[in-house]
Amino acid sequence: MSLFDSFSISSSGMKAQRLWLDLISNNIANINTTRTANGGPYRRQVPVFAQRLQETMENGIRECGVVVTRVTEDNSPPRMEYDPSHPDANEQGFVAYPNINIVNEMVNMMIASRAYEANATVLESAKSMALKALEIGRG
Amino acid sequence: MPGGKVTDLPLSFGWQGWIFVLGVVLMNIYGDKTFRLLEKAMDAGNLRQRVIANNIANINTPGFKKSLVKFESILKEELSGGRIPLATGDERHFGVNSLVNVNPLVVKETATSMRADGNNVDIDDEMTKLAANTINYYTVTQELNNRFRILGTVINGR
Repeated sequence: MSLFDSFSISSSGMKAQRLWLDLISNNIANINTTRTANGGPYRRQVPVFAQRLQETMENGIRECGVVVTRVTEDNSPPRMEYDPSHPDANEQGFVAYPNINIVNEMVNMMIASRAYEANATVLESAKSMALKALEIGRG
Repeated sequence: MPGGKVTDLPLSFGWQGWIFVLGVVLMNIYGDKTFRLLEKAMDAGNLRQRVIANNIANINTPGFKKSLVKFESILKEELSGGRIPLATGDERHFGVNSLVNVNPLVVKETATSMRADGNNVDIDDEMTKLAANTINYYTVTQELNNRFRILGTVINGR
């Protein structure tokens, strides 16, 4: 059982949370985007977290951190605003804006950054434990 | 005065006595239960660090259930049950064999739930365990170092 396993688990956690932060910043940056390559307004992107599993010699498959399996789009209906002068307005004069709620995004941002910090703290303590173990026998 | 003779005793067994003491200590380096136990405690610390890291990494994973490491309770049980013999005369009687059952155990806690998504990781609990585990690990390392220093003192004679 090596402390380096713990390093890689914490790094997987940090990676996953940073990817979520990337998606959140992308969502916030596109909060008013009405045109995308697929047509229609931008759709909110959300990560799907799953446990990362690793096969080992001694005890079969065991848990080894977290992984983002895919990024899905939020299928909730777009926000409709009345603005007939907008080039993307429909016949009734409504513009479809992305289904992004800024409060929701900010809350998720806090959750992701706190989780990132927690993973960084775990990594830091694993690091200091490994360095402490190196001191054995030095007197 | 009756105590007068007693003060002479410690240094009275001569160089053969010291060679004997040194021999006993060297013989015990590889069979000493304390070293084996400290080693196991460090292994348990590594494993617990890994499990805590996994719990915290999965804090946002829906449906994830946390795990915890049992070691101290197992050790206590083995000690109180008398399954770890204390001092014995023959070196083949102590060492690894008597500690065979003292191994850390990973237990998954599936019954509870912290949030609506089924995840049951309690971040405060995990961070507290992390701090405790780190300090515990430091303590074990320190104790190992102390043991080695005592050994060095015996070998060097100062």
